[in-house]
Amino acid sequence: MIPSAMVSSTETALESLHHIKSTEPPEWLVPKQELSQAVRAASKLLFSSLKPYCPKSPFDQLLTEGFDVEQIWQQIDLQSQPLLSSLRREVKKFEKHPEEISKLKDGGVGGGEKKKKVLEQIETDNVVNDDEDDDDMDMDEDDDDEEEEDEEGEEEEKERGTEEESENEGEEKGGIEDKFLKIKELQEYLEEDEAREFGLKKKKTKAESKKEEEDTEEEGDDDDEDENEGSEDDDDEAEEEEDELGLFDGNDEEDEDDLENARYEDFFSRKKNKSSKEKAKSRDMLEEDSGSDDEQDVDKRKDGPSKHEKELDKLRSKIEEMEKANLDPKVWTMRGEVTAAQRQKNSALEVDLDFEHNVRPAPVITEEVTASLEDLIKTRISEGLFDDVQKARTSSSKAPREIKELDESKSKKGLAEVYEEEFVQKTDPASALLTFSDELKKEASMLFKKLCLKLDALSHFHFTPKPVVEDMSIQTNVPALAMEEIAPMAVSDAAMLAPEEVFSGKGDIKEEAELTKAERKRRRANKKRKFKAEAAKRMGKKA
Amino acid sequence: MSTEAAATMEIETVPSESKPESNPLPPKPKFEPLKAHEMSDGRVQFRKVSVPPHRYSPLKKYWMDIYTPVYEQMKIDIRMNLKARKVELKTRQDTPDISNLQKCADFVQAFMLGFDVPDAIALLRLDELYVESFEIKDVKTLRGEHLSRAIGRLSGKGGKTKFAIENSTKTRIVIADTKIHILGSFANIKIARDSLCSLILGSPAGKVYSKLRQVSARLAERF
Repeated sequence: MIPSAMVSSTETALESLHHIKSTEPPEWLVPKQELSQAVRAASKLLFSSLKPYCPKSPFDQLLTEGFDVEQIWQQIDLQSQPLLSSLRREVKKFEKHPEEISKLKDGGVGGGEKKKKVLEQIETDNVVNDDEDDDDMDMDEDDDDEEEEDEEGEEEEKERGTEEESENEGEEKGGIEDKFLKIKELQEYLEEDEAREFGLKKKKTKAESKKEEEDTEEEGDDDDEDENEGSEDDDDEAEEEEDELGLFDGNDEEDEDDLENARYEDFFSRKKNKSSKEKAKSRDMLEEDSGSDDEQDVDKRKDGPSKHEKELDKLRSKIEEMEKANLDPKVWTMRGEVTAAQRQKNSALEVDLDFEHNVRPAPVITEEVTASLEDLIKTRISEGLFDDVQKARTSSSKAPREIKELDESKSKKGLAEVYEEEFVQKTDPASALLTFSDELKKEASMLFKKLCLKLDALSHFHFTPKPVVEDMSIQTNVPALAMEEIAPMAVSDAAMLAPEEVFSGKGDIKEEAELTKAERKRRRANKKRKFKAEAAKRMGKKA
Repeated sequence: MSTEAAATMEIETVPSESKPESNPLPPKPKFEPLKAHEMSDGRVQFRKVSVPPHRYSPLKKYWMDIYTPVYEQMKIDIRMNLKARKVELKTRQDTPDISNLQKCADFVQAFMLGFDVPDAIALLRLDELYVESFEIKDVKTLRGEHLSRAIGRLSGKGGKTKFAIENSTKTRIVIADTKIHILGSFANIKIARDSLCSLILGSPAGKVYSKLRQVSARLAERF
């Protein structure tokens, strides 16, 4: 239950608020007592109305009597700071969970429904503009009173803005908005499009974008601006999100820049704009505000350029675009040979590259493939057809050369005996002793070989006798007569030398009896010649 | 008749100087070869071989082995002069060949150099065997430890290198401090000498062995 005194005071305060709103800006330049009183009353009202929402405020009501402007401002500040932070949190929450707004709508925020209605009345005509106008508001502030009121209004509007937003979205728009459709974004897009079409610069939120705009302004080229705007719009949309999340500094920067970009129409053309300026700008609606300004500007200028001029502008802008594209360095895909350092990271992933594969693609292992392989293996095993590597046997036709071992011990035979043996070997080949490896060993190996041969012949179906290996044998050049003697039985005819080995001469060898007369004469003549030569040599020596 | 023919032939060749021979020359006398005994106007041939002190006791030990073949088969008188420390050899009347004395002298000399009796006996039996001696300093001047090492290299561990050379080249080698004596046939001596020289000069035994192996294989293939 609100006490009657309070009600009356509130009414008076509201009245004063109205009065403030209605006063023209020039009136504020001169300090007036009644205005200040009205302002104080209004501030008091606002303060007390905001108090329930403020968790820890030391003052129950704003103390204005006998207090300095600074002091009043301090009080307001004390209340507003925590309030602002709480509001920020609320807004963040609403950003993340839009469904809560509907809850809010249904339940109604605690305390102040009545106030809401009152505020609605005030704000109905300013709904759209309110959300849009933000930056121009702060430019006019020369008066402290005005400023503080504006700040208060700002706070209130912020609060109102959040509530309003939810209300507006819920009640006035009536369920249009959901995750997909956001009126905010729609409005932004419209503004961007118009700006691009008509070549007007858009007011940006960040300081950098502001500076860019200033540059473009200096250039004075609409087409260039279009380009900048076109690229900046995307940035701004992203930045807007950040702003909404609560970067308070952006507002201040923009305020400064907006001072430079202020226009007459912004201040003195419409009353609606002025009032919205006075009210606090909502941080959420920055982009829309600037956009709406442009819209308004555009509307004014539409009367200027004719249709033909517009078309020419469009064409010019297109030409400029194309020229710029030609002058700029090409996209990396159009540049020919590009190394990884010359393009962006992971940019090759986005492009559909086409290149030749020199390697046959690996076979896809499917069930069928495995099944076929297994079948093959099974058949091979059953057949016994293994592709084993066969060892190539080198057929040795000649026996390995016997290596004479160096005897490192003192020879048991005396030297005389050694030579004796040598001599005997020379004269009598039959008694040639085997020099290499033990005789017993040799005998044993021979016996075993014979045995093996016989066994092979008996056991193997397809028996092939071993290839004949020439054994090392001593070929002695001994006349056949000696061989055929009784004593040497061990020597066979095979061990004899072949006739070629006996004598290998060329030409026609004739016996004495076979010689013809001429040949005999020739022979004798040769002999005589030789003899004469020798005799002459002998004579020469003697003399 | 034949002389005339010969004379005429001679006249043909040397026309300037020609002695007209009326009386024919007496027939050439036929002389028997001189016996060893009769050489130098019937005086006895001597050979004296001095005995080094380190061979004294082996001489005493093997005296009979030396004496028997010399006296029996070579038919040469042999005695030991103890005072003069020499072995004296003398021809007998029935010494068949003058070379026997020399052979026996060589045989005894070989024994004095250090060869064993069965090895030295080969000198008596075969003509073509020789003894060659040389010193290490003839090959390369070595002093002190190098010399000792060279000698060690020559003989090898337990004498195995020396025996290896002996067996492969059919020679006998005696290494006496810095002197080296080789007994064998001419070609074999050459081979043995080459191996020994390479060892003195410093080549490792393995290298010498490989060479010896080749040589011996070649020698064996000769027949």
